[in-house]
Amino acid sequence: MLSVLIWLPLLGALTIVLLPAAIAEKRSQGIALLFATAIALWTGVILVQFDPALPGLQFIESLAWIEPLGLTYQLGVDGLSIPLIAINSLLVWIVIYSSDRDRTRPKLYYSLILILCAGVAGAFVAQNLLLFFLFYEVELIPLYLMIAIWGGNRRGYAAMKFLIYTAISGILLLAAFFGLSLLSGVGSFDYALLQEQSLPLVTQLVLLTTIVIGFGIKIPIVPFHTWLPDAHVEAPTEVSVLLAGVLLKLGTYGLIRFGLGLFPQAWGYFAPVLAALAVVNVLYGSFVAIAQTDMKKIVAYSSVGHMGYILLAAAAATPLSLAGSIAQMVSHGLISALLFLLVGVVYSKTGTRDISVLRGLLTPERGLPLVGSLMILGVMASAGIPGMVGFIAEFIVYRSSLLIFPVQTLLCMIGTALTAVYFLNLINRSFFGRLPDRLDNLPPILWRERIPAIAIVILIIAFGLEPSWMLRWSEQTSVALGTPFLHSTTALVTGSVTPLPLPPLP
Amino acid sequence: MVQLSPPPSVPSVLAPILERLESGGALLPDTPENVVEVVGILKSYGVVLDAYWRNLIYIAQHQFLVLFPFFKYFNGEVTPSKLLRYWWHDRINYEFAEYCMKGMMWHGGGGLDAYLDTPEFEERARAAIQAKVRSNPLMAGLNQLFPAFLLEQVRQSCYYSGLGQFWEVMSEMFLVLSDRYDRGEISSIPDVVAHVKQGLVDAAAKPITYAVDIKGQTYEIIPKSVGLTFLPDTAVPYVEAVFLRSFPFFGTVSYNAQANQISPEQADFNYGALFADPLPIGGAGIPPTLLMQDLRHFIPDYLHKVYQDDGRGEDDLRVKLCISFQKSMFCVTTAAVLGLMPHPQDTTDPQEQAENRAHLMVWLERLQASRLLRVQENV
Repeated sequence: MLSVLIWLPLLGALTIVLLPAAIAEKRSQGIALLFATAIALWTGVILVQFDPALPGLQFIESLAWIEPLGLTYQLGVDGLSIPLIAINSLLVWIVIYSSDRDRTRPKLYYSLILILCAGVAGAFVAQNLLLFFLFYEVELIPLYLMIAIWGGNRRGYAAMKFLIYTAISGILLLAAFFGLSLLSGVGSFDYALLQEQSLPLVTQLVLLTTIVIGFGIKIPIVPFHTWLPDAHVEAPTEVSVLLAGVLLKLGTYGLIRFGLGLFPQAWGYFAPVLAALAVVNVLYGSFVAIAQTDMKKIVAYSSVGHMGYILLAAAAATPLSLAGSIAQMVSHGLISALLFLLVGVVYSKTGTRDISVLRGLLTPERGLPLVGSLMILGVMASAGIPGMVGFIAEFIVYRSSLLIFPVQTLLCMIGTALTAVYFLNLINRSFFGRLPDRLDNLPPILWRERIPAIAIVILIIAFGLEPSWMLRWSEQTSVALGTPFLHSTTALVTGSVTPLPLPPLP
Repeated sequence: MVQLSPPPSVPSVLAPILERLESGGALLPDTPENVVEVVGILKSYGVVLDAYWRNLIYIAQHQFLVLFPFFKYFNGEVTPSKLLRYWWHDRINYEFAEYCMKGMMWHGGGGLDAYLDTPEFEERARAAIQAKVRSNPLMAGLNQLFPAFLLEQVRQSCYYSGLGQFWEVMSEMFLVLSDRYDRGEISSIPDVVAHVKQGLVDAAAKPITYAVDIKGQTYEIIPKSVGLTFLPDTAVPYVEAVFLRSFPFFGTVSYNAQANQISPEQADFNYGALFADPLPIGGAGIPPTLLMQDLRHFIPDYLHKVYQDDGRGEDDLRVKLCISFQKSMFCVTTAAVLGLMPHPQDTTDPQEQAENRAHLMVWLERLQASRLLRVQENV
C-alpha cells in the first residue's frame, strides 16, 4: 500500500521521460498533474484506512533486499509520519498545478518534481535506517538540479551550497547509522531491532550528537542554516514551497524518529542543549527576518525561526509536546507553503520582491487585492492569531514545553511577537499606500494562481477551528514516543516536574 | 498670421500644450485612441447624466421641503420590484449627482450663488415655505425655532434644480456628439472640443428658473426676471466646483484635515475631477467611485472591446473608465477655456494674441498640478 506512494511518482517521472519531445513540451504538466492527483487520492485512501487509535506502525511492508548489508525494504507509517506524507502529497499536487505553463524544459522539470515526491515519501515511510538514508539522498539530486537549472541569478552558488551542506548532513547520518548498527551488535539497520539497543550512555550521546548535527543541517539549526536563505532566494517558487513545506520537515522528522526514538535515554541529557538551540533559532531567525528587505528572505528566515518551535517541543519530548511538535510541522508546512506561493505571485507580477520598492499592492482592481488578503491571513496564521492553525500548534508547543523548559519557552514566545513585527512590516510596506506608477498596470492574476493559495488558507482556518482534524492522527504515536522518555529520564532532566498528560481529544 | 513663440517663462512641460491649444488643438492630445475613449465615455456619460438630471429635477420639484425624503431616488415610482432592485443595488447612483450639487453649493460662484443671498430670494422662499408648512405643525414649529433651516433647504433645492437644468443640456450634447461620431462627423479631439464649445455657446443664454407647485399654486423661487442664464450661472460655477475644487470621486482619496492635509484656504482646493487619482488607495475596502459604477453599464461596444483587450480586461474596468472620463473632461475644459478667451482664437492682432496667450497660461498653470500632464502620456 505504501509502496504506491513511492513507485507511482517514479512511474510518472518515467512516463514523462519517455514521452516524445514534441508531446512532452505540451503534455508534461498534464501527465504530472494526473499522477499527482492519483498520489493525492491514494494518500486519502491511506488516511481513511489508517487507525489513529494504534500507536505503532501500520501498513507494514517488508521485503528482503541486500541482506548482507542489512538493507531491507521495510515500510510503515505511524502518527508521526502520516501527517507529513499527507502534506507532501498535497504540496506536490499544488506545486505542479501552479507551475508556470511556459516553464522551460518541462520534461525534466516535472520528472524531477515527481522523483522528489517519491524520495520524500520514501524517507517518511522507510523503517530501515539504510533505506531511509537512500531516500534522504535521493531527494537531494532533483532539488539540486531544480535550483541549479531554474533558479535565479546566483543559482549555481546556492545549488552548490545546498548540495555541500546536505551531503555533509547525509555523511553524518550514514556514519551514525553505521555506528549504531555495529556498536549495538544488531548487525542490521532494522529500526525496530535497533530500538532495543542498550549501548553505554556515552556512546549513545556521541551517536545522538552526530544525528542531531546531521538533521540539524537539514532543519536547519543555527549555525548550520546559511544554505537555506540562499536556496530559497534563488530557487523557483515551486521549489521554495516544497523546501519549506515538506523538505525541512525531513530534518525534524528524522530528529524525533531516529534521535528520540533510538536514543531516549541520551535524549534526556541532550534535550536542554536542543532547547537552547531552539531559542537561538527562534530569536536569530526572527531578528534577521526583521532586517531583510527581500520578501522571500523574510519568509525564509521566518522558517528558520519557526522550525525552532518544533525543536523546542521535540526537546521537551512529553506526549503533548510531541503532539505539538507534529502539529507545528503541519502548521509550518501549510503556512510557509502559502507564503512562498504568494511571494511567487507577487514576484511574477511585479518583477520584484523588494519591500522597499513595493507599495499599495492591496489596491483594488489594479493591485493584487486577493493575493494581499491571503498574505495577511498567512502572516496572521504565522504570528499565531487564534482561529488559525499557527495558534493551535504554537499554543500546544508552549503549553507543553513551559514546565519542562520554562526559560527557553518564554524566550521562544518572544519569537511569536517578533513574527508579528517582521510580517506586519512586510504587509505595511508592500500592501498599503498608493500603488507606484510603475506598478499601476500589473498583469492580470489567473485563477490557477489563486486557487492553490485559497485551498491552503481553507486548511489553515479549518485546522485552526477544529484542531482534532490535525491532531488525531498523531495522538497515540506521540504518547508512545514520549512515554519511555518520561519514565526513564524526566526526573533526571526536570527534577520534580510532573509531565503533562495528553488531554483527550475529541 | 503672426505666430508667437513660447516665452522662456513658460514651463517646458506646458509649452507643447500651449502650442497645441494656440494651433487649434486641445488639452488632450489628438490620437485615434483618445477619440474612441472620449466619445465612447461621453456617450455613456450622456446616458447617466440623463438619469441624473431627471432625478435632480424630480427632487427639486416633488421633494420640496420633505423632511424625510426616503424615496427621493425613485422619481415617484415606488413599487415592490423597484424597491427590491434598489436594495440589490441594481440602480443608478443618484448620490453622485447630489455630491456634485453639494460641491457647487459649497463653493458657490456665479449669479445663482449671489441671487440666493438676496432679499428677493428670501421673500419668495419664505412664501413657499409658509405654503408648505401651513398644515404641518411639526414643520411649522421647526421653522419657528430655526428660521434659517428651511431657507437653507430651499437654497439647496435651487441647486438641485440648477444642476439638473445644466445637465439636461450637457446630456443631450453628449448624446448628439455620439450620434455624430457614429455618422462619421466626429473624427478628432478638436472636433469633440468644437462640438462641446458650440453646444455651450448655443445654450449660453438659456434661462435658469425654478418654481414649485404647492397645493395647486405655483411659487416662483427663481423667476426668469432674475436673469440667471446657463453659461455664467451654472456651467462656469459647475466647472469651478466639480472639475477643479471639489470631490466628485467620492471615496478615492482620503485626506485628514486635522493633520493639515487640507488647506484652510478655499482657493487652494484642488480636489476636482481633473485632479482626482483614478487609483483607489488605502486598502481593499474603499469602493470604486459611484460614477464609474454607473458609467460601466452604458459603455458602447467599441469602447468596451478596447477595455477588454487592454491589460486586465474587465477586472480594472472602473479604473480605465475613470482615466477615460478624465480625458473627456479635459476636452470639456478645453471648450470652456477656449470659449472664455478674451479675443477670437484666430485673431492676427499681436496684442490680442498676447492676451489670449496670457488667458491660456493662467489656465495651464492652474491645471499643471492636475492630471493634465499624465493624460499627455499614452496611459
